[in-house]
Amino acid sequence: MAAASTIRPSRVLEDPSAKAVARVYAQAYLDAVTQAGAENPLEEITSFQDDVLNLNPQFADLLLSEALATDEKIRLIEKTIQPSASPVFANFLRVLAEHQRLNLFPLILNLAWLEQEHRAGRQRVLVKSAVPLSEEQLSSIQNRLQSALNSEPILIPSVDENLIGGLVIQVGDTVYDGSLKTRLGSLRRQLRKGYLHEIQSGRDRFSHPEGN
Amino acid sequence: MKFKADEIASVIQKEIEGFQSQILTAEVGRVIEVGDGIARAVGLSSAMAGEMVEFSNGTRGLCFNLEENSVGIIILGDYLQIREGDEVKTTGALLSIPVGNALIGRVVDPLGNPLDGKGSVISSESRPVEFPAPGVAQRQPVKQPLQTGIKAIDAMTPVGRGQRELIIGDRKTGKTAIAVDAILNQKGGDVICVYVACGQRAANVASVVEALTEHGAMDYTIVVSASAADPAPLQYIAPYAGAAIAEHFMYQGKHTLVVYDDLTKQAQAYRQLSLLMRRPPGREAYPGDVFYCHSRLLERAAKLSDELGGGSMTALPIIETLEGEVSAYIPTNVISITDGQIYLEPDLFFAGVRPAINVGISVSRVGGNAQTKAMKKIAGSLRLDLAAFRELEAFAQLGTELDAATQKQLDRGYRMVELLKQPQYQPLGAADSVISIYAGTKGYFDKVPVTKVAEAEVELLQFMQDEKSEVRNALIKELALTDEIEAGLKAALEEFQGRITANPKYSAAK
Repeated sequence: MAAASTIRPSRVLEDPSAKAVARVYAQAYLDAVTQAGAENPLEEITSFQDDVLNLNPQFADLLLSEALATDEKIRLIEKTIQPSASPVFANFLRVLAEHQRLNLFPLILNLAWLEQEHRAGRQRVLVKSAVPLSEEQLSSIQNRLQSALNSEPILIPSVDENLIGGLVIQVGDTVYDGSLKTRLGSLRRQLRKGYLHEIQSGRDRFSHPEGN
Repeated sequence: MKFKADEIASVIQKEIEGFQSQILTAEVGRVIEVGDGIARAVGLSSAMAGEMVEFSNGTRGLCFNLEENSVGIIILGDYLQIREGDEVKTTGALLSIPVGNALIGRVVDPLGNPLDGKGSVISSESRPVEFPAPGVAQRQPVKQPLQTGIKAIDAMTPVGRGQRELIIGDRKTGKTAIAVDAILNQKGGDVICVYVACGQRAANVASVVEALTEHGAMDYTIVVSASAADPAPLQYIAPYAGAAIAEHFMYQGKHTLVVYDDLTKQAQAYRQLSLLMRRPPGREAYPGDVFYCHSRLLERAAKLSDELGGGSMTALPIIETLEGEVSAYIPTNVISITDGQIYLEPDLFFAGVRPAINVGISVSRVGGNAQTKAMKKIAGSLRLDLAAFRELEAFAQLGTELDAATQKQLDRGYRMVELLKQPQYQPLGAADSVISIYAGTKGYFDKVPVTKVAEAEVELLQFMQDEKSEVRNALIKELALTDEIEAGLKAALEEFQGRITANPKYSAAK
């Protein structure tokens, strides 16, 4: 479970204001589940998405869209989900329904994952390279990053042939760009700047100092 | 001379070997929304207000709004190439443009890219587009005149070096013509001119550039153009870019003249951006800081203290009014920031008074300090005389019988109005304006029929140049009416008056 789901990719379109709301619910849910003593706090909510909503798209539509009124949604939850869910999760869904926030469910799930990683002292790191990296290389990157960062990195490797060579590593919003493409770009700029200076100073060689 | 290929190759090789690149660190975000010249991005958690950012396709942008969860960016370039999900990264630099001598004679866009097809602008110097205005201690009072070459302005609303003089009027009343004439008049002088076209029709900009080229003014002029077809962000930053270009020369101790044509369009571009960014609209839907948008721009015009080299930046902002409405929001704002205004009126324009300056409500708050001594001496009463004439003229239209003194004052007034007319692209030198206005106010044209005054003036100036060059040269040298020069001028004018009264062309019935 751990390896596959630790890098659960985010598939949801960015919406900063919705994200802020969803983060509150995600944190509250995590707190509640942890307090209730669950061993794997996100198991139930993840399986609800993967095994219920994804397999029954019509049910997902009904529950997450605005098609039903709040009371009807609550009745639906009580009838179908409550019998097989833990009390905390059923309550969570009811709270979402009452506050008309069920449409944020996928976002809340994503943020709950990120929040849990954060609480466990782990951080996602995007690693872009020109060719696929071997296990060995990945683990050496992992080790280097672990000593550089204060948290345990979760590597998400991807391949971008445009980089030509080298690595691009992104931690949070910060990008460390060591790719050949960027280096060639800065070499080009530096050479051009140097020669521009040469041309400008050289231009004066051909003109008479006291004018024509 | 032959190039040695291996020598050049080895130089390049050495450079490449010496090249050390560090890993580039940048803050990135992702575009979540784009349209109409603006983009919104998430991430960029350490972006600064006004910082330059770069989109993944190389287009540059400017951080405009920093919000709780996102950053509002204005796109300086083609926004149609940017898509949702694109990466955007900070550069850690403020928006800056190339400045320096390499720009002189060029037509560039507000980012310094050439628009005139004369190749790239090779300049090693650059300057931030937004720059704080010089402080109190760094300035000195405006006291040196900047000759515009337009008689009516130099006589009644003089412009000094470092002054901000607003040119305001309806559409098609000759606002740009005054600014262009002022630029043309700097020919052979020590003033570097910057013409900023903001939201103008591209055809108009082309004709201004052509006029400047034709009259040899591009040798000391830079044109910054953001036409009506350019995106609003470029129109918004164009005046700041022009100010940065002029500022560079000002801090080198040189004199500059910058024309912002026109700030109404810039305010509209700024309004568009602000509304798209969802900043709250205020009066006429302009954002609350539209005053600051203009005040910080115009405050950059200054006369620097001698310790800083004594350079100056004179600003001629242009404002277009609607149906003469000077009490609209933007006109009142800019009137209150500037040191005076030149007000152009369509009625005068269509009555053939060109430049169509309404001398009654045009003022220069710097006043006589910014005038040559000679002009100050003769033009002192001109404004009041003309105002009195306008009143009398209205009275005379009632058809009442007038006494001789009043009739004389009216006649003088008609001739002065004629004398202050001036064709486009023909700025007059300081000495010539003094001669013309002196002759007019002292009544030397009183015998000339009103319709022939312009002709007689041309003849007078020709006469002074050809036959009385000693008086004219002394005036050019001193730019003051000493007793000696005045006596010489009087004698010359009397001789000229004798000549025109003898000329049947001028004695024809009135």
